[in-house]
Amino acid sequence: MSWWPFRSESKKQDFVEEYLRLFEKPIPGIRKITQLDFVVLDTETTGLDPKNDYVISFGGIKIQKGKILVETAIEWYPESPKEGADTAMIHGLVNRENLLRPKVFSEKLLEYIGPSILVGHHLNFDLEMLQKIGSSSGLKNFRNPSLDTLELAVRLEHGPHVNWQEIPMKEYSLDALCERYQIPSDDRHTAGGDAFLTAQLLLKLLKVAEKKGIVNYQQLFR
Amino acid sequence: MSNVIINRVAEFLRRHPPFSFLEEEDLLGIACSVEISYLAKNEVLFRKGEPANPHFFILKEGQILLQEEGEIREYCDVGDLFGVLALLGKRPYVLDALAGENSLVYAVPVEEFEKLLEKNPKVSLYFAAGFAAGQVVFRTDLGQGQKAREVFGRKEQDHSLLIFSGQSTIQISKNVLTCKTSDSVQEAANRMDKKQVSSIVICDESNFPIGILTDKDLRSKVLAKGLSPSLPVSEIMSSPVITKKPDSDFAELYLSMIKNRLHHLVLTEDGTPKSRVCGIFSDHDVLLSMGNSPAVLIHALINAKSSEEMGQIRDRAETMLRYYLENEVSMDFVAGVMTEINDVIIQQAIEEGQKQLLPDFPEMEAVPFAFLSMGSEGREEQLLRTDQDNALVYGDVPEKLKEKAKDYFLQLGTYVVETLLTCGFASCPGEIMASNPKWVLPISSWKAQFSEWILHPSPEALMKSSIFFDFRVVKGSRSLGDDLSNHIFDEIKKKPIFLNFLAQNALQNPPPLGFFRNFLVEKSGEHRDQFDIKARAMLPLTDLARLLILYHGIPGVNNTFKRFEKLAEVEPNYKDLFTQAAKAYEILMRMRALEGLQQNSSGRFIAPEKLGKIQRHLLKNSFAPIQELQEIVQVRFQLDYFRS
Repeated sequence: MSWWPFRSESKKQDFVEEYLRLFEKPIPGIRKITQLDFVVLDTETTGLDPKNDYVISFGGIKIQKGKILVETAIEWYPESPKEGADTAMIHGLVNRENLLRPKVFSEKLLEYIGPSILVGHHLNFDLEMLQKIGSSSGLKNFRNPSLDTLELAVRLEHGPHVNWQEIPMKEYSLDALCERYQIPSDDRHTAGGDAFLTAQLLLKLLKVAEKKGIVNYQQLFR
Repeated sequence: MSNVIINRVAEFLRRHPPFSFLEEEDLLGIACSVEISYLAKNEVLFRKGEPANPHFFILKEGQILLQEEGEIREYCDVGDLFGVLALLGKRPYVLDALAGENSLVYAVPVEEFEKLLEKNPKVSLYFAAGFAAGQVVFRTDLGQGQKAREVFGRKEQDHSLLIFSGQSTIQISKNVLTCKTSDSVQEAANRMDKKQVSSIVICDESNFPIGILTDKDLRSKVLAKGLSPSLPVSEIMSSPVITKKPDSDFAELYLSMIKNRLHHLVLTEDGTPKSRVCGIFSDHDVLLSMGNSPAVLIHALINAKSSEEMGQIRDRAETMLRYYLENEVSMDFVAGVMTEINDVIIQQAIEEGQKQLLPDFPEMEAVPFAFLSMGSEGREEQLLRTDQDNALVYGDVPEKLKEKAKDYFLQLGTYVVETLLTCGFASCPGEIMASNPKWVLPISSWKAQFSEWILHPSPEALMKSSIFFDFRVVKGSRSLGDDLSNHIFDEIKKKPIFLNFLAQNALQNPPPLGFFRNFLVEKSGEHRDQFDIKARAMLPLTDLARLLILYHGIPGVNNTFKRFEKLAEVEPNYKDLFTQAAKAYEILMRMRALEGLQQNSSGRFIAPEKLGKIQRHLLKNSFAPIQELQEIVQVRFQLDYFRS
């Protein structure tokens, strides 16, 4: 029914309002990168089409004061609209327990990320999928600053004025980058595992950035 | 929880002792608490003299070098543990650790591990053995350690702790104060007082050491127990004494102090108690050898190249603070030194901020301004790094420059606030900071704001007044600050009823003791059964001191205990009470700071049952002046009539 022009928008839940209020005060441009809070995330989905596919699992881990905090690592499994039909198949793929209803999942998610900077590999895709779950709670988009490790890696290796047409994208897959930055990648293709790899990749990329004089928020998000 | 990640971390730990001794459940608990950081080559993890992190480290990948003055002392490989010694001994680091290659380091919080040390004898044995052998690095594989030694050409004798600085830098007191076993405690204390030293060595006829008596013994073994000072020292002294040779290296001396929990170590000619005393080595000497003195720290701050470096130096200042507090150094001095250190950080930040901003705002160079610290930092009482409270005032500018000035000073204020953040001073939850446009104002707006609060003393205005009126100029134009102070006094003179409101406000803090002289503790929440030393004991005193100082119109005294001392001069009929209040406040500051250092918190909440008997008594006594002062204020400001 997405073509239907008079569809009323879902009313914003209180937790969404509360989340939006977190962004009233911007982060000062000169804040040091080491003082920034990051949430590194990844999702596993049934496919690559945001319209018809959905999130099977969500993994996240926080970085604060330049440190990955293992304690903050989470992996959650949102309930999907097709849960009934595909349950058997999904259970075959991943061991999903404690399925979370969309509203519960979104509330936990917004509380978890707060006003932190969101980080991911191909982050926009993950955010689009996550927003879809939140839409029934009135979440239109994420207000957090977002940082794609793919874009950051390209910017650091090719400079800021890169011609994206010339970038061999194969060299910037998470696998390829992990290999290049010497991150042993054993847990590929679980949301938690990929988030952890991406977090390690981010720490290494930020070190490279620092050497290039990128040390504060403004320079990182130039 | 993400089991994938925790399992991945646990899997690595499991391959290396002492984690290999752990049960699966304990291992997962440890893995869960790990913090991971990444160091680029040559980056420093910790420096000699810095206080020990609450973590120790395991190298996940890369290589860490432990160095002293650029010379490599040890070399850590993947799986090696380091930073343990400083932690178990609760002493500052004794070596620099820096990355020899790009390195991934896992940090494990020590409190998690201490639990296991108690539970698992194998683990504690592992550490005890290494500790006794003076290992700096706990090796996964001894073969690698051997290899490292060959690579760096280390000699045989280096089995001891080479991590400490060389003999040349050790300060040993050669003049040792001594007395005979038959001398009285009184006599010994007298001599210590005359020489201004913290210990005395008790010797026999041939000057061989038999025992030692320290400041702490006098306190806890004599005064606290109510023993008579006429007893012979032999009944009180600690005996036998642990002795070392005067030419022992620093490492040996230091380690024997750590192991035996000593503050003083006696040196004898041949290192045994059966020879003559020839020197004494104290905690204080250790501190000096490590370079943590106010002068050294301030010098280092002034020469720091980045805000991160300033943050590290500020961490070191905390070690010094703890030493001062534990050794009962006068609060006047301690608060003075810490304020100076905090001020230098702000002054450096302002200079750096100006350097960066002025090229874009050349016309602002001529505009006077003052950076104001408020709240506890304004009162020169901030020992621990609690919240920031600051603001900025600048001279009035012509209309056409107004927007520009606003922009410039807000950016300058934000620069300072961000630097303080990097140095470990948390954001103010109420946003009372020089990065908030509400608190970066020209002097005319500040005056209007202050007048407004004095004219309309709403609860909000009174709360703000209690923070802002304790302002102090940390850098910039003093005359702007004086102008503001005078304005406050003038306005209050015009509208003295403001003081009655302020007085009423000052009496609203919750009382410290209940009817049965029991501590009133929090009834619920995170701090249940803990005593709120800030709200129940310190705030009443700060509020009362501020009120009376404003009442007398005395400018330029910010410190709460100095305010009471000043009040004792102004109102001689209450001299004793004010002097007592000043003392009480010092005691409260010391207790709170020590609690904060021990718990790694703001120290605001104290568990009364954990206090020793003397401390409990001291704390209760410090409440006495609060009630008396409140009664005086009640009468002076006619609050009984006022309230209805």
